[in-house]
Amino acid sequence: MMIELAKINKYYQQGTNRFHVLHDISINIAQGELVAIIGESGSGKSTLINIIGFLDEDFSGTYFYQGRAIHELSRKQFSRLRNRNVGFVFQNFKLLREQTVAENVALPLLYAGKRRKEINERVHEVLDQVGLGDYADQFPKNMSGGQQQRVSIARAIATNPQFLIADEPTGALDTETSQEIMDLFKHLNRDEGTTVIMVTHDPHVAAQCERVVKIIDGRIVSDSKGGMLNADS
Amino acid sequence: MQTLELVKTAVQSLKANKKRSFLTIIGIMIGIAAVITILGIGDGITQTMYDKFGNNAKQGQQTTEIIYTPDNINSSTYGFTENELDGIRTQFGGEVKKVQIEKETDNLSTQAEIGDLNKTISLSLVTKPVRQVKLIAGKNFTSAGLQSGEASALMSAAVAKKQYGTAQNALGTTVMVGNTTYQVIGVYQTQGQYTDAGDQNTYGVNFLLPKDVYYQGDDVKQGDTLKLTFNQGENASGISRRIAKYLKKSGAAASQGTYEYLDMEKALKQFSSQMSIITTFISFIAAISLFIAGIGVMNMMYISVSERTQEIGIRLAVGATPFNIMMQFLIEAVMLTLTGGLLGFLGGAGLAHLLAPLMSNAVSGAAIHIHAHISLNAFLLAFGTSAAVGLIFGILPARQAANKNLIDILR
Repeated sequence: MMIELAKINKYYQQGTNRFHVLHDISINIAQGELVAIIGESGSGKSTLINIIGFLDEDFSGTYFYQGRAIHELSRKQFSRLRNRNVGFVFQNFKLLREQTVAENVALPLLYAGKRRKEINERVHEVLDQVGLGDYADQFPKNMSGGQQQRVSIARAIATNPQFLIADEPTGALDTETSQEIMDLFKHLNRDEGTTVIMVTHDPHVAAQCERVVKIIDGRIVSDSKGGMLNADS
Repeated sequence: MQTLELVKTAVQSLKANKKRSFLTIIGIMIGIAAVITILGIGDGITQTMYDKFGNNAKQGQQTTEIIYTPDNINSSTYGFTENELDGIRTQFGGEVKKVQIEKETDNLSTQAEIGDLNKTISLSLVTKPVRQVKLIAGKNFTSAGLQSGEASALMSAAVAKKQYGTAQNALGTTVMVGNTTYQVIGVYQTQGQYTDAGDQNTYGVNFLLPKDVYYQGDDVKQGDTLKLTFNQGENASGISRRIAKYLKKSGAAASQGTYEYLDMEKALKQFSSQMSIITTFISFIAAISLFIAGIGVMNMMYISVSERTQEIGIRLAVGATPFNIMMQFLIEAVMLTLTGGLLGFLGGAGLAHLLAPLMSNAVSGAAIHIHAHISLNAFLLAFGTSAAVGLIFGILPARQAANKNLIDILR
C-alpha cells in the first residue's frame, strides 16, 4: 500500500479556541488509484490532502508512505519528500506571474538540483504532454484558465512524482474546460499510471473517479471502495 | 538548487522592482562613495608626498639630503667640500652607497662679470624653457638650444636697466660666470624675492642660466646641499641623522653655520597620521550612513517578503527547502547592496579624481599636482562592506521568508 493513514487527528488553534478539524481519519490509498475526496467546505477535506501531500507536518496519528514513518520527519525532510514524490495542482493555479510557462514548469526540477539541459528537455516533454508545446515562452497572465491549469499540471508532473494532489482543480473553470482537465487527469492515471488524489465540489467530476471518499465534519462517512467505514467510531 | 539559478532568480525579481531597488541602494552608494573619495584623495596626497619628498624607496634605493645653512647669508663659505665627503666616506662607508654634493639649481649666489663689471649676482638654473617668467625683450630658451648646450642667459629687467639703461640694450651683451661666457638672449620682468607663500622665489633672481652649461663637465666640488644615497633596506633616516651629527662636530664650516638633516620621512609620517585621522572621521560618518542604508535594505526586504508570500508558498510547495528560500532572499539583499557598493565605488573614484586637483592648491600651492589614488584595498573595502551590509541586514527578512508557514500561505 502506498499511503497508509491511521487515526489522524488535526487541530487548529484560533485564539483560545481549539478546532478539532480531523477526527481519527484512517485511509489507505494504493498505487494507481484515482481518488476523489468530496465534502462541504470546512469539512476538512483540504486539510486531509495537505497532510497526505506532505504540506502539513503538524498532526497526530501515524502516516506511513511506502513504509516510511512520515510523522517522524523534520521540516527539511518534508521539502525533499514533496519535491520527489508529489505534484500539486491548485484551484487558482498558483503560477509565478513574472515568469514564463517554461520557467514555471522548470521550478520543481531546479529545486531537485537537475542540470539546465536536462531541465529544458523535460520541460518540453511535459508541455507536449499537456498539449501546450507551443506556449513555452508565454506568460501565464496572457493565457486562459484552462491553459493555466494545464501549465500547473505540467509543473506537477515534471519531476515524475508518485502521486498528484489536486485541490479543486476545476473549481475556477467552466464545464467544458473542466472536462478537458478531467480528461487529462484520467489520461495521466490510466496511461501513465500516476496516482491522483483530488478534492472536489463538483459531483460531475467526482462521478468520473473510480473511488470517492466523502468527508463530513472531519470524519469519513463513506468510501466507495471500502464501503461505509469509520463513520465515527 | 544551483547557486547560479539563485542569482538569476534574484536578478529577475530585483529587475521587476527597478525603481524601488534603485532608491534602496542610494544610501549605500552615498556611504561607499564618501569613503572611497576620501580614501582616494588621502592615498593620493600621501603617495604624491612620498614620491616628491620621501626617501624614494620605490626606485630600489633611498636618498636623503643634508643642508648647510651659513649664519651669514652672504658668506661664501660652503658647507661641503671634498674634505667633508672624504670624512663621511671613511666614517660611514659601509652604510652609505653614494655621497654627492647636490648640483643646486635654485637661488645660487656667485660672482660674475656683467660686461666688464665684477658683481655678486643671484641666479637659478633651468633645464627647460621657462614659463614662469614674463619676457619683455628678446626670446626665451628653446628646448633645442638647451639640449645642444648653448651658453645663453636670461637677464632680469632690473639688472638690464641698471647696467644698460633699457631692456633692449641688454640683448646680445654677455655675462661671465665661472669660466663660461653667456650671451643674453632675453630680458624678463623682475619678480619678488619671495613667493606669496613666503618661500624663496626661484625666479626672483638676476639671471637664469642653463643647468647643463653651468655644471659643464665638472663634478661639483663644493656646495650647501649634500645628497646621500642608500641601498634599499638601510635605515636612511637614522644614518643621515648620525652623519649630520658627525658634520656638526667635524665639518670645516660647522662654526659658521648649521648642518641640518630634514627628515622628510618623519614629516610625511606625521602628515599621513593626520590624514588617517580625517579618514577615520569620514569613515565614521560613512558608517552611520551605511547603517541607515542597511536598515532601508532591511525594510525593503521585509516588504518584498510579505508581497511575495504567494511566490514563497509556490516555491515551497514544489519542493524548495526553507534554506533555498532563505538563500534566495539573502542573495537578493546582497546583490542589491553590492550593486550600490560598486556604483558608489565608481562614483567615489570619479569624485576623487575630480577633487584631487582642486585640493592641490589648498595643500601645496600650485607646485605639486595631486592625483587621486584608488587602491585595490579601497575596492575590496567597498566590495566587502557593501556585501556585509547586505548579509547583516538581509538575514532577518530572509529567515522570515524561510520560516513562513506553507499551509497558511496556500489556504
